[in-house]
Amino acid sequence: MKMRVLLPLLFAAAGALLPGLVGSTLLMTLLTQAVINAMLATGVGFMVRQNGMVSFGHAGFFGLAAYIVALCTTNHVVTAEFAVLLAVALPMLLAFLLGLAILRIAGVAFSMLTLAVAQSFYELMLRWRELANGDDGMAAELPPRLFGAGIAVFQTPESMFLVCWAALMVVLAGLWLLSRSHFGTLTIAIRENEERARFIGYETLLPRALVYALSAGIAALAGVMFALYNAFVTPDVLYWSLSGEALVMAVIGGTKAIWGPALGAVIFFLFKDVAGDLTEHWPAIIGGTLIVVTVLLPRGASGSLLALVERLGVRR
Amino acid sequence: MSEIVLEGTGLTRQYGGFRALDDVSIMVRRGEIRGLIGPNGAGKSTLIDVLSGRGAFSRGTVKLEGRDISGLNARQRRLAGLARSFQRTNIFGDLTVGEQVHLAARAAEAENAGEVMEALALAPLADRRAADVSYGDQRRLDLALALVGRPRVLLLDEPAAGLTMQESLTLAALLRDLAQRWQVTVLIVEHDMDVIFAICSSLTVLHLGRILVEGPPEQVRVMPEVVTAYLGSSVA
Ligand SMILES: Nc1ncnc2c1ncn2[C@@H]1O[C@H](COP(=O)(O)OP(=O)(O)OP(=O)(O)O)[C@@H](O)[C@H]1O
Ligand SMILES: [Mg+2]
Repeated sequence: MKMRVLLPLLFAAAGALLPGLVGSTLLMTLLTQAVINAMLATGVGFMVRQNGMVSFGHAGFFGLAAYIVALCTTNHVVTAEFAVLLAVALPMLLAFLLGLAILRIAGVAFSMLTLAVAQSFYELMLRWRELANGDDGMAAELPPRLFGAGIAVFQTPESMFLVCWAALMVVLAGLWLLSRSHFGTLTIAIRENEERARFIGYETLLPRALVYALSAGIAALAGVMFALYNAFVTPDVLYWSLSGEALVMAVIGGTKAIWGPALGAVIFFLFKDVAGDLTEHWPAIIGGTLIVVTVLLPRGASGSLLALVERLGVRR
Repeated sequence: MSEIVLEGTGLTRQYGGFRALDDVSIMVRRGEIRGLIGPNGAGKSTLIDVLSGRGAFSRGTVKLEGRDISGLNARQRRLAGLARSFQRTNIFGDLTVGEQVHLAARAAEAENAGEVMEALALAPLADRRAADVSYGDQRRLDLALALVGRPRVLLLDEPAAGLTMQESLTLAALLRDLAQRWQVTVLIVEHDMDVIFAICSSLTVLHLGRILVEGPPEQVRVMPEVVTAYLGSSVA
């Protein structure tokens, strides 16, 4: 029982030691990007785990957040700190309202709607050149200090890795606590059997919309980190391929464990890097791997890992 | 005679051009265990659905303890004191037995989850995933989800479906005891006549979406129209 708390703590601490151990800035850059993507994948995976629904449009919330940070800081409409808050809160609100409208729609149709909404943001940013330079992208004019820290903290791979890593650990811990709460049980119940949930006396749409909002908020947080780190955004952050990648990460990692999608993101990133070095056809390799993973390891890397641990535990 | 707790009037439900329920009126008195019988396709489940607020449009009014609940949805009817179980097991597979009984208790703001699990012999299974327990256990879990949270009226749609004869009779005896102990009024659909005769104080017979007869079990059993209805269909 203690291991359930101790092991994650040890893991979180080990991750924090990485910048000191890894000598290469290139690798640190890669790892920082991986953690940002892990955050995005965590959002997508949480939706699958808690709502049983597949969003194909989480890049919409990710990119929206990145653009809010860039637009607000560059045009100095609000303080940068407030811009960051806004960049998380607005996508959450949007997802909540959108969820009330489209969560009743089941299966693939829902996924297609989320895709359509995200693509409409993409088109908007692409075509409205006066707002954000279309596909040339825009630089974010970040202030010298943010939340009391020098802006360099957010733009140097070693320190930004720590910021993103800490954020990811906090989000994972929060989701873990949430999954063990009444809300966690209720949303699993609704995912399993929405009709019976109503017949035992629960309203079901509101909890589902809240899960959607939360999952969008996590994607938005990833978008904020992306914008701070790169200080530059292009419509690509809203493109469907990013939503697709996030989904692939979640599938590779498995969604039964809350940390599964994050693990999937790291695997995906390292794999993409290695495969990218070897061949230009890495997307095909990713695709092939995905097929192998879903067939051989239907519960993803995290599911297989847990099964392995369980088996070892029983033997001992 | 005790007061009427559940009253349906002129209940009608149509699927396309087919009337599954045709102007049915039913009154259930407090403390009663009313049996609802009839051949396959008679409309028994449809009547339970209409009373509990499940599914598509229907006509007629439903009153619970004198209050018109026709306009309420399933959730609101449950919170008003009307609970139901399902003919096809309708549970939460990925939750543990204990988690879902507590969840149901919490919705109704009751603290009797432990008591209900104890009474239905589910307590030893509390930490098991519902999808992993046996069929018989799942049937009792389905019942527990309806029974927990002190409903005043319980609609049971073949709670013993798929159980062995012995299991059915045990369940029936248990139901009778619990209904009395917790003062729940019960409307129960059941094919097994042994179960019906063991626990029901009166019977309503449905046939082709209409009420055929009503009365005490001994009388209903020998009524010629009931015998014909059953013989005319392929029911065992
Ligand atoms: N959703 C539906 N759409 C169309 N027809 C339906 C639907 N549900 C039920 N029916 C029809 O309505 C009639 C009554 O069905 P119902 O399930 O109420 O019967 P029942 O008395 O419960 O039968 P059983 O003993 O088999 O459970 C049947 O002829 C059935 O085919
Ligand atoms: Mg039926």
